[in-house]
Amino acid sequence: MNNLIKDTIGKIKKEHIKPTQKWKFLVKKYSTWLLFGLIVFFGGISFSVAFYLMSSLDWDLYRFVHQNIFSYSLSIFPYFWAFILAVIAFAAFFDLRKTQMGYRFSFAKILVSTFGAIVVLGALLSYLNLGRNFNNMMTNGVPFYGQHMMVTKESQWTNPAGGFLSGTISSYSADNIELIDFSGKKWEIKIDEKTLIRTRAEISNGQMIKIIGTKIDEHVFQAIEIRPWNGMGQGMMGGGRGQMGR
Amino acid sequence: MIEENQQSDAELIELAKNDPENFGFLMERYQAPLFGYIRRLTQLGNDDIQDLLQEVFIKIYQKLNEYDEELKFSSWAYRIAHNHVIDYFRKTSSRPQTNSLEDYEWERIITASVHIEKDIVNKDCVEKVKSCIAKLPLKYREVLILRFVEEKEYEEIMDILKKPKGSVATLISRGKEMLNTNMKRENINCF
Repeated sequence: MNNLIKDTIGKIKKEHIKPTQKWKFLVKKYSTWLLFGLIVFFGGISFSVAFYLMSSLDWDLYRFVHQNIFSYSLSIFPYFWAFILAVIAFAAFFDLRKTQMGYRFSFAKILVSTFGAIVVLGALLSYLNLGRNFNNMMTNGVPFYGQHMMVTKESQWTNPAGGFLSGTISSYSADNIELIDFSGKKWEIKIDEKTLIRTRAEISNGQMIKIIGTKIDEHVFQAIEIRPWNGMGQGMMGGGRGQMGR
Repeated sequence: MIEENQQSDAELIELAKNDPENFGFLMERYQAPLFGYIRRLTQLGNDDIQDLLQEVFIKIYQKLNEYDEELKFSSWAYRIAHNHVIDYFRKTSSRPQTNSLEDYEWERIITASVHIEKDIVNKDCVEKVKSCIAKLPLKYREVLILRFVEEKEYEEIMDILKKPKGSVATLISRGKEMLNTNMKRENINCF
């Protein structure tokens, strides 16, 4: 066996074998952690966008589309971002397992800690409105995204045939609102004593509103309920027009 | 003159980085256990095992800067040996041989896996059990060898195989279970 030691050291010397430089291992080690950081960062963005989308949608519209809340929720769930999050979680798992001591952690531990980091970062990014900005960027820059891949607030409220319309008020009178929708199309919105105008819905020029109702002509829409663009405008003034003309 | 017996592994590593001659002290410390481990995983002749062991030591030498003191050096060295043996089997497309353990080593695995109230006195029986153990897939056999022949702790096996504790425990338990099932199938009931 002593020959083995002599032979091995002889071979090391003869072939000028050297220990690989430390920096090469450090680059490998830190690049794995950097990749993990990036994965968590993108996970945080995905989470904040998904959170923004879910919080900006009106979850009570199932009543108007004759669905139960479960099937309605399934129809507006942000699958795209949920899928991205799942991919990210698995990528983070395999990346973390590649680290020097990653094998010491179980699948569940890695998944919980990765999701924990994503949720914390996602909450912070949501607080900084990054989720909304990123979603807007995607909606404007990737047409397919807003139209087909995701139920956004805009797509949810750009469906006059289905009874949902939104846009900016260009003028108004006691029984009429003139509205310009997201595509620039002008609409005449008819309101009557039965129209419910939510408390926080402000009917004045330049305000954005959401309307539930019925399309009665190419450019005419009968309003059943008017909501502010942001939120559902809770607190009702049944049949009233308390917010008009302020 | 370095008194290698008093030096820790970490100190010997630092010395070896500066002079390959000092690597000999580490080799001296670990050549016997690593030789035994490779022998138990493979059943190659001594010369072949020595060739593999030399390659393992050269890999260890090349990776000295990668060694992290959070691990025991022995676990790290076993891990490199484990990977090298797996690579060897992959390259040669061969399977590890079956009769690579000494009798006392077989007995340790048998005792750990099967409820035995008497000492193993029946040689024929041991031979039959050996054939059952030999039929186990490598991943189960290796983990049983590490646990019951090498007498490694769970943490060390985790570090050698780079698997979480749960997976190591599962491998050990399934290995024992498979051994018991194989023995029942072969009607081995001689203890």
